[in-house]
Amino acid sequence: MKKLLAGMTAAAVLMGSASYAETTLKLVEVITSPERTEVLQGIVDEFEANNPDVTVEIVSLPWGSAFEKLATMVAGGDIPDVVKMPDTWQALYAGSDQLVSLKDHVAGWDHGATLTDKTVAMGSQAGDLYMIPYGFYLRAMFYNKKLLAEAGVDAPPTTMEEFKAASAAVSELDGKYGYCLRGGPGGTNGWIMFAAAMNGTNEFFTEDGVSRINEPGSVEGIQFMIDMYQNGYAPKDSVSWGFNEIVAGFYSGTCAFLDQDPDALIAISERMPAEDFAVIPMPVGPSGKAFPTIGFAGWSIFNATKHEEEAFDLVAALSSPEANATWAKRVGVIPIHKGADQDPHFQTEQFKGWFEELNGEQFVPTTMPTNLEQWGYFGSTLLLETSQEALLGQRSAQDVADEWAEFLTDEYAKWQANQ
Amino acid sequence: MPAVRKTNPALVVGKYAALAFYLIFALFPLYWLLKIGLTPDALIYSEGTRLFPSEITFSNFTTVIFQTDFVAYFRNSLVVSLGAAFFTTLFAAGAGYAFSRFVFAGKRIIIALMLVTQMFPLLMIIAPIYRIVADLGLLNSLTSLIVVYTAFNIPFATFLMQSFFDGIPKDLEDAAMMDGCSRFQALRKVVFPLTLPGLGATLGFVFTAAWSELLFALMLISKNDAMTFPVGLLTFVSKFSVDWGQMMAAGVLALIPSCLFFIFIQRYLVQGLTSGAVKG
Amino acid sequence: MIARTQKTVRPGGTRARRSLYLQYMVEPFFYLSPAIILSGAVIMVPLIIGISYSFQSIELLKPFASGWIGFENYVDLWSDRKFWIAVENTAFWTFWSITFQFLLGLGLAMLLNTQFFGKKLFQALVFLPWAVPTFLSALTWAWLFNPVIGPLPHWLAALGILSEPYNILGDPKLAMWGPITANIWFGVPFFAITLLAALQSIPGELYEAAEVDGATPWQTFTKITLPFLAPMIAITVMLRTIWIANFADLIYVMTGGGPANSTQILSTYIFTTAFSKLDFGYASTIAVALLVILLIYAVILLWLRKKLVKI
Repeated sequence: MKKLLAGMTAAAVLMGSASYAETTLKLVEVITSPERTEVLQGIVDEFEANNPDVTVEIVSLPWGSAFEKLATMVAGGDIPDVVKMPDTWQALYAGSDQLVSLKDHVAGWDHGATLTDKTVAMGSQAGDLYMIPYGFYLRAMFYNKKLLAEAGVDAPPTTMEEFKAASAAVSELDGKYGYCLRGGPGGTNGWIMFAAAMNGTNEFFTEDGVSRINEPGSVEGIQFMIDMYQNGYAPKDSVSWGFNEIVAGFYSGTCAFLDQDPDALIAISERMPAEDFAVIPMPVGPSGKAFPTIGFAGWSIFNATKHEEEAFDLVAALSSPEANATWAKRVGVIPIHKGADQDPHFQTEQFKGWFEELNGEQFVPTTMPTNLEQWGYFGSTLLLETSQEALLGQRSAQDVADEWAEFLTDEYAKWQANQ
Repeated sequence: MPAVRKTNPALVVGKYAALAFYLIFALFPLYWLLKIGLTPDALIYSEGTRLFPSEITFSNFTTVIFQTDFVAYFRNSLVVSLGAAFFTTLFAAGAGYAFSRFVFAGKRIIIALMLVTQMFPLLMIIAPIYRIVADLGLLNSLTSLIVVYTAFNIPFATFLMQSFFDGIPKDLEDAAMMDGCSRFQALRKVVFPLTLPGLGATLGFVFTAAWSELLFALMLISKNDAMTFPVGLLTFVSKFSVDWGQMMAAGVLALIPSCLFFIFIQRYLVQGLTSGAVKG
Repeated sequence: MIARTQKTVRPGGTRARRSLYLQYMVEPFFYLSPAIILSGAVIMVPLIIGISYSFQSIELLKPFASGWIGFENYVDLWSDRKFWIAVENTAFWTFWSITFQFLLGLGLAMLLNTQFFGKKLFQALVFLPWAVPTFLSALTWAWLFNPVIGPLPHWLAALGILSEPYNILGDPKLAMWGPITANIWFGVPFFAITLLAALQSIPGELYEAAEVDGATPWQTFTKITLPFLAPMIAITVMLRTIWIANFADLIYVMTGGGPANSTQILSTYIFTTAFSKLDFGYASTIAVALLVILLIYAVILLWLRKKLVKI
């Protein structure tokens, strides 16, 4: 912050009596940590050095309340120029016509051609290229080598059945459990993955727009998770565990399996010696396939901006191959430009699990239907509360699945109508 | 002469046991907060349940003070809380005086309305207030917070001040007025010195309330350098890990002013409320 | 309460007459006006706007998609399962918080009303919880209840209250007690301070007379202490109940309303509806419902007080 102020003051002095037509861009970031803000600041400083008449004001919103905060800001007219936001919010803001279409800008951009196809596809989920992703989060399974050895499990599991057996074995150990179940906030991905694995498909809707989440196979997957909890293969408290608790559960050696994205790797390697854990692809279901979820966050420009060109220049600077590679390494995501996976950093044993998933045919990355407007609400509230009721035995898996199906089918119909 | 009751030793022991219980109950969580602030990061989870950490470090505190914007947050909180405390006490003193001394039309209604303002969750009026503040161009300004906090605290502060004024005999200012002072002068010269405990108590109460307010500070201020410290504390919670050591260290630092203030004024609160209740 | 004496009539001519008029009508408002203007503008006006939202359908991000829908929100509310769960939880939360806060606060006040060694320091320290920002205390208590990093579950298990150390915040049957405990910790000083003040105002002669007459401690308590405390008790309990019913911070930070809505109270429900679902219309409806409930409560309490005072 101090550097920014100093930078601004210096720039202002340099401008002197000249043009007061200095452009200020407001950049809001919502997935913050002191580390990320530092990296961001570095890239921004370089941008400001290259564009002396532009200054960038960085606003960091604490993640826990970022959604409400940004919504309130936008509703109140305090609209930022550039926002770094998660994929789940894309539909909401694009749907209310708040975002600028970046397609033409990207076409005229030097590095536009090296963006991987996946990148462009993901950024266009809301109907047009509204976001340039800065990297991808892909789910894989962390496991504790020591605990598995102690429990007598020879090899890490590759199928769901093996996974259940391994968890049961570890749970026999005193005070230890198999799976770091995320029953609390942010657990949506786990449920979706299990349902998809057991159902053999990751399609959310049939061709007629009916949700597939309450098909017998999917319900089997939901029941799988419930059984894990009720059989004691996951800790009793895990019904309300969020991100911090599952990661802490893993690195404190309380539970042996953890499904997470590359960014958790950073936190875990700081606290666990590398020999004690490894990362494998998600276990496959009866159909021989697994469907790890893939998500992303990226940069968007709000329609209300008065400096669209400069805003895109900023986004371009943030997304250039070098900047993106730095970002991806420090932050723990999979980079967006072609050829980035040749970088030695991504060739280690820990990263192998993810790249195996990206390259293996039996692993089909699954995107969440973030094009549905109320998807955020579904994950943060509806699924959270009903899944907890199911885990606690208050409701059956079928019952809960039916409620989800009803909601999702409705949302899909709404989305279709808007097309 | 009143009979002297023989002191029962069992009662005395019981009394001190009860006192000890209350003291431990009150201070234990605060001790825990301090303990986490002093524990090095690596030991926080592994030594979680120990009463004393095996290693103490002040690095959390130094990091918070020198490497984050915490000092700025602290300063902002100080400005807002002192401002709110001052204005609330001023206005509430006026209102409390009016309720204490006068009978007038509409008094009941106004009191009832003030009570009603306490009755609904403040977050309901966040959206309208946000709009109003935005339209006035006061977003990201500490002034908006001072105004909002003052308004919220006026009803209870008025109740406090009324109680204090009730404890001061009316005759004092009547006598002064008979000697030729205007009411206002009588207030200043005669009544004011006597209400100092009451004013101090109200100041302390509002300061404490404003110091810890989170919701409106979060919503009305987005610029990093205008944030108050509760919002600043939240920045220690990132999506990826919570920096518990630093957060608790920041928490301990933040506790110091409000605790000191409160320790200082709690005596006056009791004293002032007592004299008010005497007449009650 | 202090006897409201008549305004003293000043000897003198026109000046006195004019100032009489001033005193009666205008002067009070001179002192009152800043307070009224501020509360009015900042609270009453937005409150009315807020209430009006409950009759509209509002989506925060689509300001032009809103419209008046009359009582539709209220009809939805009536059949909303979550709403009734929240009402029940709010009652549980409020009742137990108040009961324990009051009883422990009363006990503390009575202790402080006696003499003992180190009283000044003790008094200053024991009131500290009130000065702690609530979300900070919520975090600390959540920490204390977590078996991985806090001592409480282990102590509770050792005492036999829990079968094994686990986090009660994750158990739907026990979760509410976590925030309630934090709330008790926070609220005892409030009652202790106000009740102590009231206790100290009871004339000592009454106690001495009772002693001379041979009254037992219980009789002294019920016949002298309680009646004198009654007005203060009534006000503080009413105010505190209202504040607690609205108090979402502790629950929000400690459990987020879960698991499975077992700790969801009306205030937290309003918060999630307003800011997760971005449905301000419905959220306002729930808030109005809460307001009505509290109004009824206040009216009943005031009526009861009047009745008791007559006796």
